[in-house]
Amino acid sequence: MTATTPRPNTRPHDHGRDESFAGTPDDPRVQLDRDLGVFEPVPPYPPRTERESEFYSLRDGEMFLNMGPQHPSTHGVLRVVLKLDGEKVVDVDPVLGYLHRGVEKLCENADYHQAICYLDPLEYVSSLFCEWPGVMAFEKLLDVEVPRRAEYIRVLSAELNRVASHALFLGWMALDLGGLTPILWSFIERDEIVDMLAALTGQRMLFNYFRIGGVNGDLNHEFMSRLGDWMSKATEQIEAGNTLLNENEIFVRRMRDLGTIDSKTALRMAMTGPNLRATGVPFDVRRAHPYSVYPELDFDIPTRAEGDCLARYLLRMDEIKQSLRIIDQCLHQMPDGPVIAKLPRLLRPRPGRAYAGIEGPRGQYAAYVVSDGTDQPFRMRIHDPSFIHLQAVGVMVPGHLVADTMAVMASLDPIMGGVDK
Amino acid sequence: MDRAFKARLERRFGEQLTGPIRQRHDETEIRIGPGDVTQVITALHDEPEFGFEFLADLAGVDTGDVMQVVYHLWSPTTPDWLRVIADGLPREDPRVPSVTFMWKGAEWMEREAYDMFGITFEGNRDLRRIYLPPDYTSFPLRKDFYLADDAARSPGAGVRPMERTHTPRETPATANVRRGGA
Repeated sequence: MTATTPRPNTRPHDHGRDESFAGTPDDPRVQLDRDLGVFEPVPPYPPRTERESEFYSLRDGEMFLNMGPQHPSTHGVLRVVLKLDGEKVVDVDPVLGYLHRGVEKLCENADYHQAICYLDPLEYVSSLFCEWPGVMAFEKLLDVEVPRRAEYIRVLSAELNRVASHALFLGWMALDLGGLTPILWSFIERDEIVDMLAALTGQRMLFNYFRIGGVNGDLNHEFMSRLGDWMSKATEQIEAGNTLLNENEIFVRRMRDLGTIDSKTALRMAMTGPNLRATGVPFDVRRAHPYSVYPELDFDIPTRAEGDCLARYLLRMDEIKQSLRIIDQCLHQMPDGPVIAKLPRLLRPRPGRAYAGIEGPRGQYAAYVVSDGTDQPFRMRIHDPSFIHLQAVGVMVPGHLVADTMAVMASLDPIMGGVDK
Repeated sequence: MDRAFKARLERRFGEQLTGPIRQRHDETEIRIGPGDVTQVITALHDEPEFGFEFLADLAGVDTGDVMQVVYHLWSPTTPDWLRVIADGLPREDPRVPSVTFMWKGAEWMEREAYDMFGITFEGNRDLRRIYLPPDYTSFPLRKDFYLADDAARSPGAGVRPMERTHTPRETPATANVRRGGA
């Protein structure tokens, strides 16, 4: 009997079933018995580019290993083809597109208000940062002035989201290295913030909170009381979570000198955010190209010189502390007033172009919008840092072991929703 | 808006600019021909007067008549974002030199622009589709690619004029509506 012929009907619950499907492709038994299909790492067509022919030709002793798209440590649906020499990685070829939804095209077919809700699910752990550049670009096109209270609320909620995102990063990274405890801790940390933001925005993950000209609603009592509770213990809680990893010898020795990248290469790879600052370049859009009310706030830009996985991890921990400082200042300086500018329902900006970039937990999020005078964006370009950083895996991983691929990838903190758009 | 920066750009790239320098909010925009990309980008990156070390974004744009490739750059020498538009690429065969010689990180962004618009970046070593499957043949972000289920372009549309602002005049769907006297 070959693997493709259906098994005889032997299971007791199969008796008395509708047999009209038997033998057709709809027969569930045929589906079960079908060969599940092996994912061939080598594409079934001749190489089309220089790089592809270089990658898919093997030298002596080398082999391909396909990882994903359902591999648990690829943070979503990413397929990576690894070229191995023994256990050493020679080269990597990430294959994207398993989560591609065509968000840019969807935005071009929605009006300006509707387009915002397509931006949330891009990076589902830091939704507010995906909304922000889009909203900012629309405001530039429309010459809207955002009320100061709205700007403060934006900064406050976004910084909370940054803390939640970095807290989750800590857990994921430890999980990819084989440690289970930190992710439980970091989910506790994240859940407190997410519940807080749910009280503010009405949603736990995809907040859809920013509007053109302001935010959807004012601060409410439940949010403020939850925030007050959390602020009183946040520093201690995060410190406790840090010591779990910072003083763990296995973790530190594993991460040190892993996936090192120098500042020059990082700039050439167009990297931004914590991954760039971990190489010693103090580039932070909040200071380099100030937006919103960040010029009025006092915070530092932590940098580290090593450029390895440990530096990237420690840098994010430093950033959490700075975010807490910013949240504290926002609460003290929060002005009174309206939270949204008065705008018509139907927006028709003058023809023009606008670009807005912000500093998110992963790097520079940006949106580039072209208006043709109608109520829909003519072109909406979304720039996502995860996409850029995933590319850098190809520079960092060669020379390391297979298991280190996940560690390096985790230290860059890519979110596949943003990579695939 | 950085007026001095505009003057510097005009002085340095005078003949290569194909349109006036536009400034709005915190952005400065220059337009160049696709043939000058390598030269202008190298000058912007290397000359200490400009020092644009950081590539913020690379995007393709289809205006309906021509294709454009848009670079956004950042430098400590000016508070503005610099937008460089490589303008006037023919829609039938859009070609532009790659900037991967300067920023290797542009490779995937160029692959994306190729995938979505069919723009060929000469010098990119890995110009294949990045999101869509390799046997896909069209370029979805081009303006002549319509969404199959787009209610705005179905013959039944017209209930809400708001949804029809982008409807091209020559699509079969609207031709029916107009023939019916709508």
